[in-house]
Amino acid sequence: MKKILVLLTLFVFICSSMFAFTWPWAKKDTGTLTITGSTTVLPIAQKSAEVFMDKHSDVNISVRGGGSSVGIAALLDGTVQIADASRSIKTKEFKAAREKGINPVGNVVAKDGIAVIVNPGNGISEITIPQIAAIFTGEISNWKDLGGVPGPIVVISRDNSSGTYEVFNELALGGGKVREDAVVLASNNAVAQTVSQTPGSIGYVGLGYLSDAVKALKVGGVMPNNATVNSGAYKLARPLYMYTNGNPKGLAKQYLDFIWSAEGQGIVGDLGFVPLR
Amino acid sequence: MAKVKFLVAFMLIMVIGASLLIASDTQIEMTVWNRWTYVKSGDEVTEDQFSLARGYLRLSHNFSSSVFGRFNVDFFSDEDGLDGAGLKIKYAYLDFKKLIPIQDAVFTAGLMKTYFGTIYDWSYITVEKDPSDLYKICSSTDYGLGVSGLIPGGLGEYALALYNGEGYKKTGNDVNKYPAFVGNVRVTPIPGITVGGSAIIANKVGTSEPYDKMNAYAGVGRFVFGPIDIWAEYIMKNYTDETKTSCETKSAGFMVMPIIKLFPNFEFVFRYDQWDPNTDQDNDKQNIMIAGINWNCASNVVLQANYENISYESSKSEDTKKVYAQLNWTFKTPKF
Repeated sequence: MKKILVLLTLFVFICSSMFAFTWPWAKKDTGTLTITGSTTVLPIAQKSAEVFMDKHSDVNISVRGGGSSVGIAALLDGTVQIADASRSIKTKEFKAAREKGINPVGNVVAKDGIAVIVNPGNGISEITIPQIAAIFTGEISNWKDLGGVPGPIVVISRDNSSGTYEVFNELALGGGKVREDAVVLASNNAVAQTVSQTPGSIGYVGLGYLSDAVKALKVGGVMPNNATVNSGAYKLARPLYMYTNGNPKGLAKQYLDFIWSAEGQGIVGDLGFVPLR
Repeated sequence: MAKVKFLVAFMLIMVIGASLLIASDTQIEMTVWNRWTYVKSGDEVTEDQFSLARGYLRLSHNFSSSVFGRFNVDFFSDEDGLDGAGLKIKYAYLDFKKLIPIQDAVFTAGLMKTYFGTIYDWSYITVEKDPSDLYKICSSTDYGLGVSGLIPGGLGEYALALYNGEGYKKTGNDVNKYPAFVGNVRVTPIPGITVGGSAIIANKVGTSEPYDKMNAYAGVGRFVFGPIDIWAEYIMKNYTDETKTSCETKSAGFMVMPIIKLFPNFEFVFRYDQWDPNTDQDNDKQNIMIAGINWNCASNVVLQANYENISYESSKSEDTKKVYAQLNWTFKTPKF
């Protein structure tokens, strides 16, 4: 019994100490913000952080990619204050977060379309969602089946931790499995670069990664751009999130308020994403 | 040992076969526990050894976006009568995600988790086993089938399953023809507070007629506030050994386990268990106190140190002190 009392006293002492002192984890919030997650949201987070830090010299914002799943896992571990995600949080992640005392709140910072891209030398300019599904699941493997110049289709996809992959898989493939010989890459940038250098290839990227080096296809007769994403005419579209634990507070709130401001939304538009207004 | 060699060869063939033939969404994972154990019972040192307490070799494969399979063997060297190492099959199941028209519901068949109390998500924060495992309520896995899933909105989880009832170690003639039923539910009404309950209904246990009977119930609570994470569990078991006496034995006990994460790579853990094997009998309770530290010294490498004191109300049993030091390390391949 004496031992139990000693153990309980020790526990109570440690617990009460935590309210009396400023512990290392409590110090993080003052001038440092750590952000991890989606490579799609990465340019928005990075550029906004640069401009925000120019305005607030005492603030340090660290931004990393890694993918939406990586970002949300970091938020659940308490190692970041903001998790970038190009998909909404999964029920399983939400449950795990609540069990850990974390209340994930998805703050929408922009909208995005997932553009289906091919090499600029490809004669195809339009595709349908069923055709995309057939290509990515392996039912169609030659461009001649789509009315193009005969040649094998090289499928470029994203890794499982990518939110872009998850949304594309849900909206375009209906949960189907990507063909086994697909080239799997870790970022939007890598997909865009590989497609630009590989004749016969097809991939998908966020609107912010479109350039003259790749050719975006019309999907169901609709070109991906700000107007078609905003109107809902372009079907492969999604909101982009910055998840916080509870409603944003302190520095995270200041940073998000900046992204939601006219200046911040201007950055969103300049980067090729769709501003909220 | 011949059995171990055969199974290792079988696993290698499976791994190579998987890489050559299946070549998609297959993953190999290994978890190893290198443990030092020191046990002193009364004044006598009864154990002082280094061992391999666990060597999980796990193969996972996504057959499609809705069908997932896992096979897991456990190599170990810390049990009596082994010629170097022993081997257990710990998991061998298939998950079907879209078979049941309920969102986030998974149908599982094979050697799968036993959804009771805290045993199915016990992550060995302490080196000591989960209470249901320690007090022989149930095994962590068993052969059967069941449905598990998430409560809409991520508010919790549930499971309903049918098992052999004898656990993963019992096979062949050690398994009777009467299954056991398990139900489990956990809810997190507000972030940081989780409560739940489980039941095992095993009206016929064992292979000797007339059969034994065992029903068990568990209540679980988890409270997380900042760096403090407290787990609590209450377990009750009613057991009737029909071969000896038709009298029912009632057992009950609880565990409280506060975990404190002071620094990103360190956590301190305390645990107090009390187990009463027969609530109608006096002076037979057992108390366990554990204090430990877990240091994440590298990615997927945890050094655990635990001090455990087991005390008995009865003077017939001597108090036991255990010291564990364990390196718990995991690595896995990318999916291929």
